[in-house]
Amino acid sequence: MVNVLIIKFHLRMSSQMHNAIFFNTYSLSERAISVVFGSDIDDSTLQQITQFNHTLHRKPFPGFYTTVPAYTTLTVFYDPLLVIQSDLPGTDCFDKVTHYLEQLKQHLAQDQPGLGKMITIPVCYGGTFGPDLKYVAASHGFTTDKVIDLHSSAIYKVYMIGFVPGFAYLGGMPEVLATPRLTTPRKAIPTGSVGIAGKQTGVYPLDTPGGWQLIGRTPLALFAASRSQPALLQAGDTIKFEPIPHHEFDLYRHHADTHH
Amino acid sequence: MQIRIIKPGILSTVQDLGRWNFLPQAVPVSGAMDALAARLANKVLGNDDNDAVIEFTYSSASFKAETDLLIAYSGDGALLKCDNQAIPTDRPVFVPAGNIVHLTNNPAGCRTYLAIAGGFDVPVVLGSRSTYTTAQLGGLHGRLLQSNDLLYNTSQLGLTTSKILNSLTGEHLKYPAWSLTSHAFLPSNRKIIRVVPGPEFTWFNSQSIINFLTTPFTLTSQSNRMGYQLEGPVINRRIHKELLSTAVTPGTIQVTGSGNPVLLMADCQTTGGYPRIAQVAAVDVPLCGQLKPGDQIQFEEISRQKAEMLYIEQEQQLQKLTHAIKSKYA
Repeated sequence: MVNVLIIKFHLRMSSQMHNAIFFNTYSLSERAISVVFGSDIDDSTLQQITQFNHTLHRKPFPGFYTTVPAYTTLTVFYDPLLVIQSDLPGTDCFDKVTHYLEQLKQHLAQDQPGLGKMITIPVCYGGTFGPDLKYVAASHGFTTDKVIDLHSSAIYKVYMIGFVPGFAYLGGMPEVLATPRLTTPRKAIPTGSVGIAGKQTGVYPLDTPGGWQLIGRTPLALFAASRSQPALLQAGDTIKFEPIPHHEFDLYRHHADTHH
Repeated sequence: MQIRIIKPGILSTVQDLGRWNFLPQAVPVSGAMDALAARLANKVLGNDDNDAVIEFTYSSASFKAETDLLIAYSGDGALLKCDNQAIPTDRPVFVPAGNIVHLTNNPAGCRTYLAIAGGFDVPVVLGSRSTYTTAQLGGLHGRLLQSNDLLYNTSQLGLTTSKILNSLTGEHLKYPAWSLTSHAFLPSNRKIIRVVPGPEFTWFNSQSIINFLTTPFTLTSQSNRMGYQLEGPVINRRIHKELLSTAVTPGTIQVTGSGNPVLLMADCQTTGGYPRIAQVAAVDVPLCGQLKPGDQIQFEEISRQKAEMLYIEQEQQLQKLTHAIKSKYA
């Protein structure tokens, strides 16, 4: 039994390495294939994924329906029945889709770069909106204004959307702001709360429990099912936080409501 | 057609086959946990597979026929009764107005799907009628069904559905002599779950892999529509790399830091950061939808090619079934 498994390990690993030379893909399920673009979180990987994703949406294969971009992978979902019935070369869905994606990647260089949007997110820092701002400032020996300044002058990249609908994994927070999570998570965090957890910063799109240090809140809806694109942010977007006075919070809300 | 929920039971929601197009925005697939049962209940009514059904969890629920109804049910969570008369599964059933239908205990499984002629009429939200309670999306107001909720069918019935209805309409509970043999689609031992090695399969040590594939695992009480925590031998890693969050999907089996597997189900997140030891074969995911805390399952390895072949064969059989029902009522 053990020997059989060890042999299987070797076969599997060698076939993976073989794939890596040409085009690194793996099967996630009967309906999904992941394409691997790198091994670390970095801008060039993000750009490749964004560009490939953009191209695939413009040139889909029969049976394609959606993708999930992540830090180093783009996972491609499809309907196996439509793929197997298509005339794409290959004996099974995995071969057919991998072959198509491989071809697509080769033509990528001549393609337009898939640039993300630039989005400014207004934030009311501190007070009842950011109950942990003082703690975050004190733990680094900063004034609260200094924390606001550092947080709102950085440019952030949206690496991926995950965890809950509309939640963006952002890169680009100044490392001096890194603060550990709360030891006891809060039972409910209001929608729009802006928080810090370790080296990450992010915005809660829904009322959920959580352990992030809350430094402010945005009046923008990060996720609204009523919009044609419900999530405000998408992988590949660039964002900036802009401090706004507390009395403007409701103005934004009102403004947003009148547009629904 | 209209039904009134009398007792909602533990967890009852409107579901279809899921919300697939908003995965990039981290909206879970949702949909029926036992999608095969949901589809069969729809098929026997001449509905589309994707029409909205009610997913009941266990029994102790009941509903009233406010009008004459043409319904069907499938799945192993409950047996339906009307006036102490058992209603058979997997076939169309006419229920005259005024009757109350009770769900009674069926120890075989967990979830039961109620389909209605034309499907339940709730708004399509982000391309699906499935309920996802965390974001209050879909279904009836994005929430669990409650007492006194009224649910309607869509009034436009297809030709097959209309013919089935005409053949059964009358004063009494009525159903045809035929039924689907849903068991034809299910393996004889439904506690054996076939899996394909996952992308991080080789991150685990040989002994743990052997344990994973030879020792039963038990569903803990930490099991819901998002996923099941499994208890069994601790699974240890041989490679201690950090996995950067990447896509997961219903049927993915992750192993947490404590070495326990988690089987992700319909409402799972779209991405995860735990290594994925295996992926349940798509044809066996519906079996998982019938599992309940305390159930023991045994994983069995099959190849990716075999899993894909099983899936395509089953889909082709299901298509034939649709044609068979259509031609029966042509």
